[in-house]
Amino acid sequence: MEMLGEAMVSGIIMGSLFGAMAIGLTIIYGVIKMFNFAHGIIAILGAYLAWWLFSSVHLNLIGAIAFSFFLMLLVGMLIFTLIIRVLLRTPRWPYSTIIASIGLGIFLQNLLLQIFGPRIKSMPVFFEGNIKVGGITIGWHEISLVLIVLSLILILRIFFKKTTLGNAMRAVAQSPEGAKIVGINTLKIFSYAYMMGIAITGLSGVFLSTKCYIVPHRGWDWMVKGFIIVAFGGLGNIMGAYYAALFLGILEALVITYVGTVWVWNFWFVSFLIVLLIRPQGLLGGRMG
Amino acid sequence: MLNKIGWKKMVILLSLLVIVLYPVFFHSKSYIMHIFILFFCWAVLASSWNLLFGYAGIWSLAQVGVFVIGAYSSGMMAKFTGISPLICIPLAAILTALIVTLFVGLPSLRLKGIYICVFSLMFADALPSVLTQTRKWTGGGRGLHDIPPLWNNISRVYYYYVGFAIFLFSLFIIYKIVNSSTGKAFIALRDSRDFALSLGINEYKERLKVFALSSFFAGLAGAFYGHYLGHVSPASLGISPFLLAIAMMEMGGLGRFPGAVIGAVVLVFGSELLRLTGMSRLTILGAAVVLIMLFMPKGLMQIVDMIDNIKLRKNATIK
Repeated sequence: MEMLGEAMVSGIIMGSLFGAMAIGLTIIYGVIKMFNFAHGIIAILGAYLAWWLFSSVHLNLIGAIAFSFFLMLLVGMLIFTLIIRVLLRTPRWPYSTIIASIGLGIFLQNLLLQIFGPRIKSMPVFFEGNIKVGGITIGWHEISLVLIVLSLILILRIFFKKTTLGNAMRAVAQSPEGAKIVGINTLKIFSYAYMMGIAITGLSGVFLSTKCYIVPHRGWDWMVKGFIIVAFGGLGNIMGAYYAALFLGILEALVITYVGTVWVWNFWFVSFLIVLLIRPQGLLGGRMG
Repeated sequence: MLNKIGWKKMVILLSLLVIVLYPVFFHSKSYIMHIFILFFCWAVLASSWNLLFGYAGIWSLAQVGVFVIGAYSSGMMAKFTGISPLICIPLAAILTALIVTLFVGLPSLRLKGIYICVFSLMFADALPSVLTQTRKWTGGGRGLHDIPPLWNNISRVYYYYVGFAIFLFSLFIIYKIVNSSTGKAFIALRDSRDFALSLGINEYKERLKVFALSSFFAGLAGAFYGHYLGHVSPASLGISPFLLAIAMMEMGGLGRFPGAVIGAVVLVFGSELLRLTGMSRLTILGAAVVLIMLFMPKGLMQIVDMIDNIKLRKNATIK
């Protein structure tokens, strides 16, 4: 019973971390309709930036994370203006963006490897100490992570429902042509959405790096997980991505506890297959919310 | 008129001649021959992927996984049953086509565009854990070793010609497919699905066909590759072969016939040269993929088209 409880708890924690990463992906897909195949390495990049600001520039923890968030916004803007915007103008953009972002991801990954070296890095935890609930030990740090992700989702929901920019993004997501007719500059909205997605992804990378170590090649693994979560929950749907992340996180923890670590992918594959066969559009597919 | 169509055929014939005659004159230079053999495998893999990705517009990213399945199934068949590898290779290719059509082709009939991408990526990522868990037969994480060679005491020259035969056979069939009504149906489904359906093209049948065909050729190349090197490991499923194959397909020109082969020529020989730079090899490759997509979206076939245009204009002005 205790093993089950511990598995559930660690599943919820990892699930919400991967949920945070999937949110960045789902914002980009939801608005621009392009899949960001450089996603994993963007998360790693955010984590490395925060780590570098923290350990080499000696900012304090909150300052480092905030500054890395800001830098990631700039990175997003740079990638969008240099690569994505050019490709979106071509007629075959759905797959030219896929291939270009795969190339970009590999480029960044090996660049990071050369700059920072292959040694593993990790961020310090936010809060020390832990709490015991019914025989299960939970760190305050983990509780804070789950709460941070929840509040991030809350903020995003308010952003998409209440603000003008958020509404414009939803309009573009639903129908780019319709948005153009009512006078929304779709390219501008694309760039904001891309920047936002990249920055949130970088932030999620920072959170992940406090929980597990980071090396550049881990990004690929994270990204595939992010893809599955996003497709599982319904592309472009933030709540769907969060629920899917929780479900898959708990499934992963249960598989690790009772079956073995190497089988995680196979279980994910089968559950993904089942969901897609019943609901090809994902759990909450077809809505941006 | 003769020199308008002539130059392409000339180039193809010349390069085939060079490939055929190379071992006759330079049979001591086995390193270059090794790279040529790798080129045969890669060219078939990239062309089969191009059939699926470029022609049929099915964004499957599992093709390197298919290649590895081919290598493993032929290797295991030859190693444990003792059947001659020359029989195992085509059998393994058929088996690969069956496996892939069953596990990726059938489920993806229900999926669209980007979902196929994710789904096939997952399939490819689930393979290493299957391999490491079936250590008894597949050798686990260390890979399958001691795959029997094609026949005993075979020298590299024979591998060269067998590889060349597989290369020619696969490309000839792919060329035939692309120019047949089946290939036209693939293109029609890619470019305008509704219109193609209204003309009576059976979408499911064509999709299964393209999955079976492309995985057959990838499996064929993989099986030969396994027997040639003598070992395969889950490391072949890593990021570097995947990127190399994607870059080949893209560099040559997506959805153009000899495109992937041209890409394979450039990248197989180019990446051997890039080995000199050591660590930065993948960095340069990654940057190259982005730059090609930005500045040459139709790949190297764009240059071929340009030469065609210049010739056409020249002929027009003469008249």
